[in-house]
Amino acid sequence: MTAVPITEAVAVDGWRWHDRVAGLLDDGLRFVSLSGTPDGDVRCVLADPERTVVLTTAPAGGRVASIIDIVGAAGWDEREIHDRTGIGFEGHEPLRPLLRHPSATSDWTTPVAGADVHDVAVGPTHAGIIESGHFRFHVVGERILLLDPQLFYKHRGLEAAAAGASPELALRLAQRACAACAVTNTVAVAQAIEDARGAMPDAELRRARTLLLELERLYNHVNDIGAVCAGIGFAMGNMAFAELKERAQRLNATLTGHRFLFGTVAVGTSELEIDAAAAAGARTTVAGIGADAAALWADVHRNRTARTRFRGAGTLAHADALALGACGPAGRASGIDDDARVASPRLWYDGFAAARPEAPTGDVAARIGLRVLEIVACCAIIDDLVSAPITPGRVRGGNVDVGTGVGVVESPRGRTAAIVDVHAGTITGMHLRTGSYANWPALAAACTGAILPDFPLINKSFELCYACVDR
Amino acid sequence: MFVLFRHLAGVRRAAGLRRGAPLSAAIRHVDAGSCNGCEHELGACLGPMYDLQRFGLAISASPRHADILLVTGPVTTRMRPALLAAYQAMPEPRLVAALGDCALGCGLLGDPSEVAGPLEEILPVAVRIPGCPPTPEDIARCLLDGLDGTLQTATPGA
Ligand code: SF4
Repeated sequence: MTAVPITEAVAVDGWRWHDRVAGLLDDGLRFVSLSGTPDGDVRCVLADPERTVVLTTAPAGGRVASIIDIVGAAGWDEREIHDRTGIGFEGHEPLRPLLRHPSATSDWTTPVAGADVHDVAVGPTHAGIIESGHFRFHVVGERILLLDPQLFYKHRGLEAAAAGASPELALRLAQRACAACAVTNTVAVAQAIEDARGAMPDAELRRARTLLLELERLYNHVNDIGAVCAGIGFAMGNMAFAELKERAQRLNATLTGHRFLFGTVAVGTSELEIDAAAAAGARTTVAGIGADAAALWADVHRNRTARTRFRGAGTLAHADALALGACGPAGRASGIDDDARVASPRLWYDGFAAARPEAPTGDVAARIGLRVLEIVACCAIIDDLVSAPITPGRVRGGNVDVGTGVGVVESPRGRTAAIVDVHAGTITGMHLRTGSYANWPALAAACTGAILPDFPLINKSFELCYACVDR
Repeated sequence: MFVLFRHLAGVRRAAGLRRGAPLSAAIRHVDAGSCNGCEHELGACLGPMYDLQRFGLAISASPRHADILLVTGPVTTRMRPALLAAYQAMPEPRLVAALGDCALGCGLLGDPSEVAGPLEEILPVAVRIPGCPPTPEDIARCLLDGLDGTLQTATPGA
């Protein structure tokens, strides 16, 4: 078992902010999240497998140096903090609104000019069963020059509602953020609270949470392959994978009582019990889903039209993926060798290696191909976890009263990080940076150069949530 | 595509779905701030295991072609204008269905300053589908029960 990373809190003066972040990046730490604190400060979480550092600075005169020149991934975070708190980021020009929705379009979109350039506005409501969000495509003819997404139509203020709440209520609010990532988000928050309290999950708790996370990944990944088929109007592929998703969700209901695994994660404990008979049934079901997914995918892939549509569509270049901090299946499909499961001492992933695509071409084909690979791994992990009964688990330690903790979990869409402040049994601050949040700028970049009718396909190949960005 | 075809044929046989009393209604879905759970289950209703279309219920791409406005989520302040625009664009008679506990104003909704709902205070709700999320069976049953004759009696202009 890997050692548990220590979370260090470091306060820095404003004038040293940029250099300290740069120094930690040079030491090999990676950017995890950037957010405002309950006290009006700004904090940046950076981590490597051995340690997690929470850098905090008080903005002098309401301003802090921007870090986007060294952490391209922090662009949306700085824009969101500015909208929430008014804090300015020097060097981030123009600091466009993200959470705030100004009435003039020019206040939040990128100026694009040239012969025949025009805008196509889509949303916030859409032509199917789709989450709400607005897109401004700057196009020439049907070629996309640039996409400006405007999300946060579904902003429910869940983090604000968590301030002053009990840990249990904060966890339920985190679950409300997003159904498809409910386990990921609640495990990340539970881990953060436990980290703040100095508690460590025992083996049973780690196994139970890992099982829940992989059950979540399984139904999401088969869903996402079906969604990509829908993106090219291939109804048979869509329906076949919808059936696999249904089987996976019925298994969730059998094992936990809920099709989306709601209510299965708690702070400091797990009540999940799966006896030998239920475990055996789960192994059979999962093996069946895995085998059918492989056979059905092979048949989709035999279809030349499908193959041709997937190949070369919505390419996210490796350099862009790196610069924008793309992660999860989307990042891995562009050659980013990263998966939070590799170093997860609070979970049960010993010996886990991130899936590597045959060719990291960064297109729709690579993103689905990667999920196909991950379904195989996911079924194997579930099979291994339920090869013995699952029994209730607890944490050890945990008598710290006041503190700040970090939890990091790999969701079906990428690295999800929670940072939580605990004060004498109350949550005073909670921030969730989900895999979807991390990848939206990369999705926008992948659309540049594509044709407008391919947007649904490209969008589905990322299959990012709006709900767990908007919170 | 033989493998896909054979698989789906098997799924349909195993599901043993009966033909229902035929209705004809077009549904416009608006996500007014959901967690996406209700959307997933609504999507499942249209899948091979539930197949809501066999009752003549279909999702419409535009509110202008829709009979039913199916709303999910607690209605955030930011989605209120788009929701009202969709309702206004619908021909009459039209009716509103609330899908899920959030749309019914129950449970944890978020920070009160961000929520414009409950839906009942914004639009006249005729069909209520409770659950978090309601299962595909619940959605199908509530829609079919709720629609039994309701479209005919919906007050014009409501
Ligand atoms: S009712 Fe439940 S599943 Fe539906 S949107 Fe609300 S929280 Fe999500």
